[in-house]
Amino acid sequence: MARKLTLILCLAALAGSPAAAQRRAPAPPPLTGIDALRAEFAVQSGGSIVYFGMGSNQLSAQALQVLTAQARWIRKHPEVVVRIEGNADGGDTRDHALAVGARRAQEVRDYLVLLGVPAAQVTAVSWGKERPGPGRVATILVR
Amino acid sequence: MRNIILQILGLAAAALSSAPSFAQEPGQAAATVIAIPPMTTPDTGTKGNELLAIGWEATQLIAADLRQTAELVPLPPKQKDYYSYPEVTAPNFPKWRSAGAKALVTGFVQQRADGRLTFGCYVYDVEAGRELGRKGFVVAKDDWRRAAHKCSGIAFKGVTGSPGVFDTRIAYVAESGVGTGLVKRVALMDSDGTNHRYITAGDTIVLTPRLSPEADKLAFVSYVGGVPQVRVMDVASGSPRPLVPSGNAISFAPRFSPDGSRIAFSMMLGGNADLYSVSANGGYPQRLTFSPGIETDPSFSPDGSRIVFESDRGGSQQLYVMNADGSRQRRLTFGGGGAYASPSWSPDGKWIAFTLRSGGARRIGIIAADGSGEKILTRGPGDEGPSWAASSREILFQRSDSAGRTGLYRVGLDGSEPRQMSIPQGGSDPDWSGVMD
Repeated sequence: MARKLTLILCLAALAGSPAAAQRRAPAPPPLTGIDALRAEFAVQSGGSIVYFGMGSNQLSAQALQVLTAQARWIRKHPEVVVRIEGNADGGDTRDHALAVGARRAQEVRDYLVLLGVPAAQVTAVSWGKERPGPGRVATILVR
Repeated sequence: MRNIILQILGLAAAALSSAPSFAQEPGQAAATVIAIPPMTTPDTGTKGNELLAIGWEATQLIAADLRQTAELVPLPPKQKDYYSYPEVTAPNFPKWRSAGAKALVTGFVQQRADGRLTFGCYVYDVEAGRELGRKGFVVAKDDWRRAAHKCSGIAFKGVTGSPGVFDTRIAYVAESGVGTGLVKRVALMDSDGTNHRYITAGDTIVLTPRLSPEADKLAFVSYVGGVPQVRVMDVASGSPRPLVPSGNAISFAPRFSPDGSRIAFSMMLGGNADLYSVSANGGYPQRLTFSPGIETDPSFSPDGSRIVFESDRGGSQQLYVMNADGSRQRRLTFGGGGAYASPSWSPDGKWIAFTLRSGGARRIGIIAADGSGEKILTRGPGDEGPSWAASSREILFQRSDSAGRTGLYRVGLDGSEPRQMSIPQGGSDPDWSGVMD
């Protein structure tokens, strides 16, 4: 059952990946440097974003799966600098949102470090509710 | 800030022996009719005429200031009613009684040897025939507006007993552009919307500007170092510096103490936000809270002895009160129906304004400082960030519409329909200063 779910998730990830878009688009230039790494990271870890329930900093089962894949990839790329960006829900108040975003980013960072990612490789920041959208944490490859 | 040199003259404010005969309680409907004869001058000749012209402009501004209040109704000033200098301090009370006025504000303007102007303002109870207050100021010639706002404040205080909001400033975050193109700048203006100017350039996100009580200092949150952190600056010099050397720690939600000497704020260690307080000049912060979870939005009581703040330590976001040194922490709200956030203590000490988040909406409410008498003032659904007027009779807040556009609104404690303030673009995170001296 779990294997079946994984398979469906992988298919879903592939369908939404740049590879699917490239089939229709006329020959884009090949990605190099950090852009190539970002594309590879997104595909191989099933996404760079994990989502949260309203006001919560609890990692869902799906989030844990994505972060496990992210950690595996980051461990293999010690040269990459990673920034974890936490976002709160738009309905929150300004300062509470800033703290919620930070708490979520910290939760993700802690989990990656727990899975063996060197702490020095990962920084965390909060955007509070400055970037509209659902409550989420994005794992950004900086360089 | 230009040559805003303002001195209180030797004209000491007259002590009020008792309340004026028309003293009002907040919420009472009756407004006091106040007469405002044209400001006069002891000077004569060409100079006298020039000063009478300035005095007339000041008189009109005082009338406009007072017309905006719910408590005072100014009789329209008439320029042709020349008012003699001796009458400033010895008004003809029967004449004003028959004109229907219950209160009277008189004033003069005089040029000093150094070119600056002296303004004198007097407020009277017409029915009792006695003085309620007086004050004098020296201002640069260009700053006659400031003097007029001061006179409006004396008139308002004489009649209502509360400070007016005429000589106050508002800081807020000016918002232009949309989506990822949103530009945020700290902006500052007089409370009547004049003197509008931008304090930061808009190249980095800024949040929650907070003015010191006399509006000479500004604390705000900036992403300039990559991480949101509190910065402080003198409004006059305009160069922000970090409030505390906090490395990569996120710091936010700054608020000045009522005497301007300290700033309370939140700082995060890992996923835990706690409250700290530090000298407004920097130094080593004192930690005030130690509980896991989010503690933020501290606001001092007007005597500086206590701090109200929000915390989710009890499982939901509620308001708590503690002594300013962190001792005696106790819960203020026990509402089960929503999250209480962003508290702000009223300058008269009686009320705490807050944002209530419930049912997908954010609304502004007030609760007495002892936790009784909760009252919701706005409908929402996108209201937040209440800030008190110096009079404690009005609250300024941010309202967002469904398209994400933001504006600044004022609401009275009676819960009447909020009025939108006129600003050049969108606005968020407003902060209303105390009366400047």
